[in-house]
Amino acid sequence: MKSRFFLLPLASFVLPGGPAYATVYLSVEQAQALMFPGATFQPDTRTLTNEQAKAIEHASGVNVRSRQLKLWRVSTGGWFIVDEVVGKHEFILFALGLDDSGALKAIEILEYREAYGGQIREPDWRKQFIGKQAGSKLQLDKTIRNISGATLSCKHITDGVNRLLATYEIVLKQSASRP
Amino acid sequence: MNEPIPDSRQIDQFALETNRGRRAHESCPQQTNGLLSRHAAALLVTLFVMALAAPSPVRADEPLFGFTYTTDLLPKGKFEVEQWSTTRLTKATGSFWQQENRTELEYGVNDRLQFSLYTNYDSTAAYHNGPFGATTPGEPFSYDVPDPDDHYRRSRFIGISGEAIYRLLSPYTHPVGVALYFEPTIGPGFFEPEARLILQKDFRDDRLVLGFNFTYAPEYRRLPPDTSCMCLAETDVNADFGLSYRFRRNWSAGFEFFNERELNSLNFTNEINSAYYVGPVIHYGGKHFFVTATFVGQLPWATTHSDTQPGAIVGGRDYDNDFEKYRVRVKFGWYFGGKEKK
Repeated sequence: MKSRFFLLPLASFVLPGGPAYATVYLSVEQAQALMFPGATFQPDTRTLTNEQAKAIEHASGVNVRSRQLKLWRVSTGGWFIVDEVVGKHEFILFALGLDDSGALKAIEILEYREAYGGQIREPDWRKQFIGKQAGSKLQLDKTIRNISGATLSCKHITDGVNRLLATYEIVLKQSASRP
Repeated sequence: MNEPIPDSRQIDQFALETNRGRRAHESCPQQTNGLLSRHAAALLVTLFVMALAAPSPVRADEPLFGFTYTTDLLPKGKFEVEQWSTTRLTKATGSFWQQENRTELEYGVNDRLQFSLYTNYDSTAAYHNGPFGATTPGEPFSYDVPDPDDHYRRSRFIGISGEAIYRLLSPYTHPVGVALYFEPTIGPGFFEPEARLILQKDFRDDRLVLGFNFTYAPEYRRLPPDTSCMCLAETDVNADFGLSYRFRRNWSAGFEFFNERELNSLNFTNEINSAYYVGPVIHYGGKHFFVTATFVGQLPWATTHSDTQPGAIVGGRDYDNDFEKYRVRVKFGWYFGGKEKK
């Protein structure tokens, strides 16, 4: 089967492709200092029960992928939460700061592993989430503006915020927010 | 395989009936092939040089499936080069192999509209592979007229295609993604305007993707005896389903199932062929490139229709000139374009 085109499929496997790598924008410590200047942080790792996970999914309409919560209590009041959502190929690592009433104080993208869609780091876009609380039912293209060409990332960050606000309401609200 | 062996007159008559329009391309085939292949190779090299010279690769749309399209498009101002390779293998008898190649350049006009331009160039080899054991080239070589006992080999530039996809609804902001696709292909004595409806439904954080396509493609050729007329040769009507799950970072896997039909009309009458294919697909999406590979086999569900050629269906499978037992499709894509904001 000699043919001048026969080897073309093999080219698919030998052409160079850049290795996937994460762009780390902020470490956990940097995000903490940015959101709660001068505060100290006490780790508070928790595991959701089945009932809690179901209640969060019901309240937010978003799947709970991981039962493990990565939390810090803030010395000045409030919570610092690190979580991840699905990106196109990889996960998007982000951090949320809640004040002691459960309102969203700040959101930061810590690691973004995709080459495209990184516009979700723009302050103007993230600013839309500030002050939101459980029950806000954030929805892309309605309460949250979409970024053309970054729709998947916008959608999943919005879903992630909905899920964490519901997590606060169902799991954390009863706990003291100060160490 | 158990068909009665015909005499030479039957084989000749079959070749006359099935190798539609063959004489239209008999003049100077080798000379034309060489010229066109050089043209295709030059375009291929140009596209890859453009890709390698461009700064800052970006992630863009990418096919989760080999045959089924989804509604993901390139963002505005982004480019992508894709190389497709489809291998068709195994007829009911004899030996058959066909390699179909496509080199494509895609551009995101805006976030709803994507344009593409590509070149198609194929190679094939066939021997005693057709009905009644006659050497029968597959489409698009089926308009050549080899002797029934020839060892047929040929490479050919098929044509240049343009493609436009317009997304009406995104699956990320609507319950179902919807897009319209239009692809005219123009080649020597050949014109095919292909239209497609694309639907996409996502589940489980967009990691489980269900795609559906409906394709309608009338095919016009200059056929003897009146080669001045670009007349309807056949109409392809396809339905494709694909299901893919991202099972780990960068990797998705699933399967595809599709039905391809050929008609001797524009209005869904005079059916010639209908074949069903199913098989697995695997996809890797990296930061700068993707690779997708699909292997499908024809299911033994083919039946005779009003315009089916005698001897085309063997063992429940359709082996007419656009059908075979197995297909393998590999796609490779390389992203490049504007610099991402930091």
